[in-house]
Amino acid sequence: MASPLRRLRSVLDARMQAWIRRRQGLDADPVRLERRRIYILPTPMGLAYAAMVLAMVLGGMNYGNNLGLALAFLLVSLGLVAMHHTHGTLSGLVLRLAGTESAFAGREVAFRLLLENAARAPRQRVELGTGAQPQCVADVPAAGSAPAVLALHAGRRGRVPLERFVVATRHPLGLFRAWAVVHCDYRAIAWPAPAGRGRSPPGVATDTGGAQDRAHGDHDFTGLKPFQAGDSLRRVAWKAYARGQGLHTKQYAGTDVVSHVFDWESLPALGTEARLAQLCRWVLDAHERGEAFGLRLPGVAIEPNVGTAHRERCLNALALFEGGDGRG
Amino acid sequence: MAAADRTGPRLQGLDGATAALAVAMAPHVPFVPAWVTLLVVAACAWRWAVDRRGWPLPPRWLRSLAAAAATAAVFVTFRTLNGIEAGTAFLVVMAAAKLLETRGARDLTVLVFIAYFLLYAALLRDQRLPQLPFLLAGAVLATAALMRAHGGASVESARGVLLRTGALVLQALPLAALLFLLFPRLPGPFWGIAAAESARTGLGDEMTPGDISDLSVSGDVAFRVRFAGGLPPPAQRYWRGPVLHEFDGRSWRRPRAQAFARQPVEFRGEPVDYQITLEPTNRPWILALDLPAAWPEREAYRTYDFQLVAPRRLTEVSSYRLRSYPRFVAGVELPQSLRNKDTQLPAEGNPRSRALGRELAARHRDPLAISQALLTMFREQPYVYTLEPPKLAADAIDEFLFETRRGFCEHYAAAFTVVMRAAGVPARVVTGYQGGEFNPIREYLIVRQSDAHAWSEIWVAGRGWLRVDPTAAVAPERVERGLINAVGADEPVPGRLREASEVWLQAELAWDALNDLWNERVVRFNAERQMGLLERLGFDEPDWRTLGLGLAASLAAFFVSLSLYLAWRYREPALDAPARLHAEVARRLRRRRGLVPGTAEGPVSYLERAAAACPDLAGDLAAIRQLYVSLRYGPLPTEGDLRRLKYRVNRLRP
Repeated sequence: MASPLRRLRSVLDARMQAWIRRRQGLDADPVRLERRRIYILPTPMGLAYAAMVLAMVLGGMNYGNNLGLALAFLLVSLGLVAMHHTHGTLSGLVLRLAGTESAFAGREVAFRLLLENAARAPRQRVELGTGAQPQCVADVPAAGSAPAVLALHAGRRGRVPLERFVVATRHPLGLFRAWAVVHCDYRAIAWPAPAGRGRSPPGVATDTGGAQDRAHGDHDFTGLKPFQAGDSLRRVAWKAYARGQGLHTKQYAGTDVVSHVFDWESLPALGTEARLAQLCRWVLDAHERGEAFGLRLPGVAIEPNVGTAHRERCLNALALFEGGDGRG
Repeated sequence: MAAADRTGPRLQGLDGATAALAVAMAPHVPFVPAWVTLLVVAACAWRWAVDRRGWPLPPRWLRSLAAAAATAAVFVTFRTLNGIEAGTAFLVVMAAAKLLETRGARDLTVLVFIAYFLLYAALLRDQRLPQLPFLLAGAVLATAALMRAHGGASVESARGVLLRTGALVLQALPLAALLFLLFPRLPGPFWGIAAAESARTGLGDEMTPGDISDLSVSGDVAFRVRFAGGLPPPAQRYWRGPVLHEFDGRSWRRPRAQAFARQPVEFRGEPVDYQITLEPTNRPWILALDLPAAWPEREAYRTYDFQLVAPRRLTEVSSYRLRSYPRFVAGVELPQSLRNKDTQLPAEGNPRSRALGRELAARHRDPLAISQALLTMFREQPYVYTLEPPKLAADAIDEFLFETRRGFCEHYAAAFTVVMRAAGVPARVVTGYQGGEFNPIREYLIVRQSDAHAWSEIWVAGRGWLRVDPTAAVAPERVERGLINAVGADEPVPGRLREASEVWLQAELAWDALNDLWNERVVRFNAERQMGLLERLGFDEPDWRTLGLGLAASLAAFFVSLSLYLAWRYREPALDAPARLHAEVARRLRRRRGLVPGTAEGPVSYLERAAAACPDLAGDLAAIRQLYVSLRYGPLPTEGDLRRLKYRVNRLRP
């Protein structure tokens, strides 16, 4: 019984979405919700309310009861006032992408949005979602902003596009739902899902001086010393040299530093995705142990380093390698 | 207990919804069975314990069982679910059942809808002026509960949500008023009206000693009368209600069967034309001035004993244009069947009264002389007119006449009628109202329940039925100046303060005038008055098209003004002068040269970039930038700088 109805409804929804897309075009960040792009319809509860008020009007007519009619007309009017307020809650709201959060394939990437309200009145219960169900609800204060997060499931590594999302509200009475569709071009990055811990990383690279010398690690920068022949060129303070202060070598404290270079070519037996998954695993493990590491992919070379920014740079390179960049 | 039956720690909006239900429910409490009220109170308590104490909700089977049992009980009590009484009880039961499964905003919404319906049902039952604040308060409270269920941060406090709802209701009122005035009123009921069974104060079709004195302690208004000409004098203000013929030794009754021929009436003297507006009594009596001569044919009829009766019970405020003649000759011919009825006495009982009747009949041949002798007895012997007569035993008439001698109008009328019947004179008791208070504010007569009265009628050959008021013999002030001045100074007369100050009396009259205005303008507003209103607004021969036009215009005006209000409410703070001028420059550069300001780009860097991109404007843009910087960040921004900036911006031709 319900299934043909549901199918009809999904067809209508798709038609409506396509029409809205054609009508509005692609939005540029930030998006201001203008009046003409806000749609509004009664909710099921709103329809029940309308039926109730209709029954009251008919009953009041029948009984010739003017006070009953007065209540019915007050409720009619209240419904219409609420409709305007629901619409007004969205009208003029500005949405801005505040950043994205990457995640491993199979998990959810997140788009952080900022809801900005320049108006002198607050905007309550603004719901955001990518589908029919809202994912988060925000109360935006007057002349202020509120954060909201949209999560999207990342099926595979690469860029995960957020093509459309819905901003909606039922405030104040839940009788109407106003919504606006935003067609955007936001992208988050999904990293390859790491492989299992079966394969140990290749041997430690030997070109840094820190590994054997317990007094000279590469954890924390401690100062500069004059350059001596034999010092690693990697440790030269080139900025100081550029300022004309002579050639110096950067000194680091910390000792038991191991530096890896994870190389695509070291895994010839595996396919592309398996290799990326393995490299990802090594990157994660090395980072967790606090070891320095570098990454070599065809066309990509990242020198060994440490820190979360470095880890993210390597993971992004893995995510976007060959085919991770497009939509296919 | 299934895990699904547990709810979150606190449900926002539950308190609001219960408060709305309580207020909407309050006026129904006297009219629904007590167990219904107890059920909803218990459901509220349980739901609150769930919310505050972490109790579980009752399991589904228990809820279904309770709802089914309660519905069945309502059906058994009322034999229907239709009509106001049964419908209200059913709604309340549904509210109780819903409370026990309330988990989220949707359930709360259903509760609020039930509250709206209960409010509505209360208005169907009673639409007097004091209902207006109830309507508004109930609507605000229920809407506040709805808003709290769908609210946000600003409606977390009760104050915040009430303020916001109050604002919404205020915005809704103008359109509601226009809809009330302009929405077409269709005449007549479209479907059968189930009569409300609620008891109301007023005269019944039976009189037992104590009934009228009970009624007399009520200060409620019975009806209001507006006279076309002058006010009849107090002694003529007898408002005729049910005529009671049947006596069983204690109570007087109006016969159920009305199988008597209409009696001829001959009117004398000047007519009195008036409009009577009766409060709903749930009885069909129309209290016409004694004796009604003309009435709207389809809305009333006159019985064989000259009472005016409507074809159905008066459940709403009802108004009639009537004509009466205070002087009349009625029922000169007395049919034998009616003579038998009006001389009937119980087979035994009250022997001393009967003996008195026989003795008077033996002494005087003329019925009027008998009546006069009896009135003289009331006047000269120590009879007392009192609201608090002693209780009477088996032979009530005997005991009153010969022992206690203290009574209210019903005692005197009953005793007089019994003695007259014992003397062989046809006599009957007439109940109704006597007197009334003139309200000079809107110039009408107020007749209250405390003016309820009973008197007698005797039949005299050649003169027909004559009114005899034995109370007037005992307490002439009752007829001339009303109840307050007739009873002893130490007796309480509720409804009217004996020692009321002038200010209080004036306030009371003003309040009554307001009620009268409300009844006339609001309660009795109909299609006819609607057209009259349009005519007064200057429409010639208004019809439904005029109404449609008016409605469309009101809706348009409402939408426009509400949109304007919302634009003002959500207005963004105005830019100051330099920012406005910079926005103007950016607008022109964007349109002519396609230079769009970046999201994080300030005015200064934007102007620098623009100057680099458009060498022909570089000089102008540099000047504008310098002026902008000195206005914004300079130590002493001057009016002159602003003027120069304006000039530069106006001269800019990208």
